[in-house]
Amino acid sequence: MRDGAIFAKAGLPAVAIVTEAFVELAAFTAQAVGMPAVPRYVLPHPCSGTGDENLARVAREAAPGIIALLEGRVEGRKP
Amino acid sequence: MNLSATRHQAPDEATALELFHLREWTDGLPVVIPTEERVEAMLAGVELDPDIILGEIGPGQATVEKVAINAVMAGCRPEHLPVVLAAVRAVTDPEFDIDNMQSTTHGMGPVIIVNGPARDVCGPIASGWGALGPGHRANASIGRALRLCLMNIGGARPGHGDMAALGQPGKFTCCLAEDEEGSPFPPQHTSFGYDADQSAVTLVGVDAPHSVMMQTNDDDPEAHERILRVVAGAIAIPGANNTQIGNGPVIVVLNPVHAGVLASAGLTREDVIERLVKLAVTPNSTMRGWATKRAFRDEDAYLPALRGPEDLVLIVAGGGGMYSAVFSGGLAGSTHPVHAPIHFDFSCELPGFPPA
Repeated sequence: MRDGAIFAKAGLPAVAIVTEAFVELAAFTAQAVGMPAVPRYVLPHPCSGTGDENLARVAREAAPGIIALLEGRVEGRKP
Repeated sequence: MNLSATRHQAPDEATALELFHLREWTDGLPVVIPTEERVEAMLAGVELDPDIILGEIGPGQATVEKVAINAVMAGCRPEHLPVVLAAVRAVTDPEFDIDNMQSTTHGMGPVIIVNGPARDVCGPIASGWGALGPGHRANASIGRALRLCLMNIGGARPGHGDMAALGQPGKFTCCLAEDEEGSPFPPQHTSFGYDADQSAVTLVGVDAPHSVMMQTNDDDPEAHERILRVVAGAIAIPGANNTQIGNGPVIVVLNPVHAGVLASAGLTREDVIERLVKLAVTPNSTMRGWATKRAFRDEDAYLPALRGPEDLVLIVAGGGGMYSAVFSGGLAGSTHPVHAPIHFDFSCELPGFPPA
């Protein structure tokens, strides 16, 4: 989240990618760094360690939403 | 005294305590209710304006007043406050990376090590038998005050601001002094450039302590080597972040007997640290069966658990005998040991608190 906020502050398109378990922490951190609206995309939890096949599927499904956020076609947090 | 904290009303202390639990202002244990009188009495021993900002923890600014409130809640006496203030200053040092430590899934937290005359004047802060265990008011209260600051100022709530997957009991409180009198080495804080008669806290973000047993024998000429190997082995255990990822500062707590054996063999603190850094390694052939996050090219090589001497803080504490301890590190190396001076000047009796 902090990296996303740094990019956003620099005027660069940024999306913070967090898993479901970290949604509240992400909001908390975004608030803490003074960028409560940093776009974020939420992935299932856990992602790590779920195998290459599942990770590829998660990435395929997430990519369009993340790109939409980066292009500003979707506002705010994508659930 | 001009205190700026919001005042809340309750008909009695029991009701107030329930309000504190309900609003998640405690660590789960009862706290001393921080009334205006108690906070003012806590601040009477330090000549600091309550609104001085010590640093930032996450979304919150750690002011002297907020720290004093949490110190009251933790059960501190006014003479403990200078140590708590120094500890808060230290955790807000960017080198410590407290925000990352608050949000990691690793169950790590800060350990406060106290050196210098503050061990007595601001305590007594125990360094001997059971220094890391229950029964020492200053140790328990000072460490708890820091934790309450991390929760109430820094927002570290389990599953929200504090993402430790499991946590560990040392996150309630973890503070001890070095047994400078029982140590054959110069006081630990002199490693950071302090004079021995200055007081300072050293903070290291680590996992829970791991006991290290080694029965030494005065007739054993290799006793010092055995101690080094066993301590190094405890640093490079399979499940430690240091083994799995390969970095993060650790604390080694040598009991006075173990430290004495090493010193009698002619080893200085720096020598011991250097040897431990070299010995805390794991053969690649073993690592293949243990870890997936590290690269093992050369089957005959060893992977180090520590990057160098800067990753190891070594102190002497505890009852003399067989047991020393190792605290493993974490945060993929983004945290570093930090320190801060303890300022105190108790030239008169502190009002508002009964004598200790």
